[in-house]
Amino acid sequence: MSPALPVAGRSQAWRYARSLFRRHPGMFRATVGLHLLAALAGLAGPRYLGDLVQAVQRGTFAAELNGLAAALAGFVLLQAVLTRFAYLASARLGEQVLAQLREEFIARVLTLPLGTVESAGTGDLLTRTTRDVDALSRCVRLAVPETMIALLTGGLVVVALVLVSPVLAAPLLVGVPITVAGTRWYVRRAPAGYLRQNAAYSEVTDGLTETVEGARTVEALGRQRQRVARTDRDLGRSWRAERYTLFLRTVWWPVIEVSYLLPMVLTLLTGGWLYLRGTVTLGQLTAAVVYVQQLIHPLDRLLSWLDELQVGAASLARLLGVTAAPHPPRPRAPRPDGTRIELRGVRFGYREGREVLHGVDLTLRPGERLAVVGPSGAGKSTLGRLLAGIHQPTEGSVTVGGVPLGALAPDRLRAEVALVSQEHHVFIGTLRDNLAMARPSAPEPDVRAALAAVRALQWADGLPNGLDTVVGEGAHPLTAAQAQQVALARLILADPHTLVLDEATALLDPRAARDLERSLAAVVRGRTVVAIAHRLFSAHDADRVAVVEDGRITELGSHDELVAANGPYAALWRSWQGRGEGPERPPDMARARPREDAPL
Amino acid sequence: MRRLPVADPGLPDARSATRFLSWLIRRSRMTIVTAIALAVAWMGCQSLVPAMVGRAIDAAAAERGGALLGWALVLFVIGVVQALTGISRHRFATVNWLAAGFRTVQVTVRQANRLGSALPRRLDAGEAVAIGTSDITHIGGAVDVAARGTGALLAVATVTLLLLHTSVPLGLVVLLGVPALMAVVGGLIRPLHRRQQAYREQQARLTGQAADLVTGLRVLRGVGGEAVMVARYRAQSQALRAAGVRTASVESLLEAAQVLLPGTFLVLVTWLGARFAADGRITVGQLVSFYAYAAFLVSPLRQLTDSIDKLTRGHVSARRVVRMLTLPRVAAEPSGAARPRGGELADPESGVRVVPGRLTAIVARDPADAARVADRLGRYAGGATLGGVPLTDLPLAEVRERILVAENEARLFSGRLRADLDPYRSGRLAEALEAAAARDIVDGLPDGLDSEVVERGRSFSGGQQQRLRLVRALVADPEVLILVEPTNAVDAHTEARIAERLRAVRAGRTTVVCTSSPLVLGHTDRVLYLEHGRVVAAGTHHELLGSEPRYARVVLRQEQS
Repeated sequence: MSPALPVAGRSQAWRYARSLFRRHPGMFRATVGLHLLAALAGLAGPRYLGDLVQAVQRGTFAAELNGLAAALAGFVLLQAVLTRFAYLASARLGEQVLAQLREEFIARVLTLPLGTVESAGTGDLLTRTTRDVDALSRCVRLAVPETMIALLTGGLVVVALVLVSPVLAAPLLVGVPITVAGTRWYVRRAPAGYLRQNAAYSEVTDGLTETVEGARTVEALGRQRQRVARTDRDLGRSWRAERYTLFLRTVWWPVIEVSYLLPMVLTLLTGGWLYLRGTVTLGQLTAAVVYVQQLIHPLDRLLSWLDELQVGAASLARLLGVTAAPHPPRPRAPRPDGTRIELRGVRFGYREGREVLHGVDLTLRPGERLAVVGPSGAGKSTLGRLLAGIHQPTEGSVTVGGVPLGALAPDRLRAEVALVSQEHHVFIGTLRDNLAMARPSAPEPDVRAALAAVRALQWADGLPNGLDTVVGEGAHPLTAAQAQQVALARLILADPHTLVLDEATALLDPRAARDLERSLAAVVRGRTVVAIAHRLFSAHDADRVAVVEDGRITELGSHDELVAANGPYAALWRSWQGRGEGPERPPDMARARPREDAPL
Repeated sequence: MRRLPVADPGLPDARSATRFLSWLIRRSRMTIVTAIALAVAWMGCQSLVPAMVGRAIDAAAAERGGALLGWALVLFVIGVVQALTGISRHRFATVNWLAAGFRTVQVTVRQANRLGSALPRRLDAGEAVAIGTSDITHIGGAVDVAARGTGALLAVATVTLLLLHTSVPLGLVVLLGVPALMAVVGGLIRPLHRRQQAYREQQARLTGQAADLVTGLRVLRGVGGEAVMVARYRAQSQALRAAGVRTASVESLLEAAQVLLPGTFLVLVTWLGARFAADGRITVGQLVSFYAYAAFLVSPLRQLTDSIDKLTRGHVSARRVVRMLTLPRVAAEPSGAARPRGGELADPESGVRVVPGRLTAIVARDPADAARVADRLGRYAGGATLGGVPLTDLPLAEVRERILVAENEARLFSGRLRADLDPYRSGRLAEALEAAAARDIVDGLPDGLDSEVVERGRSFSGGQQQRLRLVRALVADPEVLILVEPTNAVDAHTEARIAERLRAVRAGRTTVVCTSSPLVLGHTDRVLYLEHGRVVAAGTHHELLGSEPRYARVVLRQEQS
């Protein structure tokens, strides 16, 4: 299994959470203060109700009742106003903290070493970027303030109760052990249960979407039975997950309700008995019972957010884990002397013990066009990525002008060499954004010229808003071929002295691909181009061809030289042309004898 | 408790959204009736609690210790019953909710299967996704709330009677005041919902942007531009923060209103009650319970407004589901009259004729022409004939079983790789893997054929996906296999291997390949060359290379004409 991205420890998450709030001490104090005042104002109600009951019982004048009622109304108004500002203050603080957190996270993600991302799988990082950021957002926006309010209100109610009568507050203690034990039992199980429930539910919706979107494929392959079975299986899994959390609630809820009920009944009994003995007044009894009832609401609030808080903490730990992944060392390097890229004794593997390149030597001549061919899995793409400095060799060196690529800062590196691979991606944003991301300052004519060079200007101008059309997922869709043209135009704008094109035109139809490569060649004249290609016409057009087999360069020379040498390349070329050996005997690369660097 | 999902969801009543919802309710009527009964009992207990507290205080005030103890015990029993009915109600509600949602998923999947290739043309992709992501939830919610709302209604009625019994004028104040209050708060909530919705959408966009950055990370790393992307994300994130604060300012007003309005109302009731009590019209205990009732009513009334809201949403969702359930198939199915086996497949419009049992290639100057021919040969469009009979006169199921068009847009399904490649254990998998040169893909996976495939097979490279699709088509082993550009994303070496093995594995079966790769064409029996959608030359690859210069130009990509 691939090593997952790290997850931060509990204490680290806690420290970070505190430090986030500590960066805004003023806002934090204001928020807590306002909530505290609002809760205080809310406590006046039962207190005055007690006084009212007392007054009624004494047999009093209407004027006194009116005065008490007016005071009550005044507190309600005060509480409302304080609540408004308290709520606003905590939202401001929460939004601030959240924005900071996600921005820091994304900035960190974009500087992660690609090797770290790849060995952990993009899926994990994607989950953290989407689900964990969302979960944390919910937690900070709702769970944190709700919990804070509940704690403050609950605490104040208890204080008020004690002030009314310490004896009448005593029955509260009966509820404490029940609540604590029940909640501990629940909270230990709940987060995992709910995570599983949500995961099972998303499988159901994903499966449904897949069936609907893939309806044509389902019909073509006669997969109807399989889809129905898959749906029912997903639903069954979801049902089991739901049943488990339902079981947790079935135990927990009644326990909690009884833990609220017992103190209420006991307060009533104790208070009634004390009143009969003349120790407390009827007003004290009434207020105490109302306070105990008032405690239910904040407690309920607090308990219901507990698992959300836990989920939030777990998400925070995963987000921080990414931040904690090792930074690549970036020593200050001298400026490269020249533009020559050299590989010396390069060995490389994505994982320990699985080497992909076994000692490659290669010198790119500035301004040349080098084609790299070879069977799938031979290491062509890996070679391209080492040439572009995306990975560092495990042994040997890749240097530009004598300086190791790994020692260059990212922006500096991209001025030297850039790579476009068969993997294409259109970022959500305008077409212009997509092109200019490598050189934001690029003037309009340059952007248009880059599009023209990849034969994309015509369709780009034909988009609904031209270059300002928003493209990418969920917006105006581009075809795979268009996406590849965009990738190449980006590269032209970035304008490095060495370009690595890994199957960069594979998705275009063959004729368009050739057109594009020619027009591209004109634009990048004078630049060094490494073209990794499975279409042999690219090799035919190149200055030199390198044949990569099983992690080594086995042939290197011009097209004519290699054809004359009658090695594996020659065999493939003949088969491609449909002549010579003919199609019945496809080239057998394995039998070919590796050659030393061809004479030039 | 029932087991879900049910084996057979039954035939939905899709005449209208309301009928669909009531069909779902009828299907779960036993659990729904139970849920209503439990909800009534639960709320009844809740409404009795203040009365019991009031009686107990009255007993204390009257200095009757025995009565105080009695009422306190009654309160305890009611509280326990409330806890038990509450959780039972919740259990039944959950089951109702899930049963409705699950059943909707089941009928939707079955309908998608019935519609097949007609579906994408008739339903916008976004709508289909909405059924999965939000409609199930809303429909489940509507069915659940139908029970809960009924319970709330009954609870409100009970409390009304109790209040009027105690004091008619005070009762009337409460009865008229509380709904008025709810209406005011409800009116405030609507604009808030709009803002919250806008905020959620903006949040989803930001999340989408972040996901986009992660997905494109490798591309980004190739050309640089990280700083620009971080700056763009930051700008969006700050915009979301501002939107969050704006939403919160409305939310905070609502929170304040929820303190102010019920608070003021309670003060009014208490003040009136106190004056009544001072006049001796009601007792002190009744005053306390009045206060409690007024507070209690807020909860069932909120449930009622919530019910209306949820029923509305459920109805909107049910409309979308019903729309999908009522989509018709393209044409009526012919009853299978003529069923020729092994006849010649032909497309008169282009002049393509496929010789049975041989490997035929279609090369078109414009690749889209070849794809159109494949569509007709597979009856995704009308026009082709099999053994002289129009394909449209044959039952669709039979056509699909006999002719398979394998195209690059075909979807790879998530789940175990083996289940997608060879779902019905045909025994042809090993052979197909070999023929499609896909063995190395499987070998590179942590659990081989038992590895999990992610959605759309996104974890595979384009070339790998293409080879896996080919494996799947070869495993299906149809009488006629039509491959559209099956190797345009794999390298030349692999392509050569596939071309050779394809011929062997399909020996004696009818196969059509739409391609322009000479490595593949060299292995075919016969090549048809199309210009402007018509066959203009036919022969073997070598013959055409020699005799047809236009063909040579297309497949060898020599100088442009």
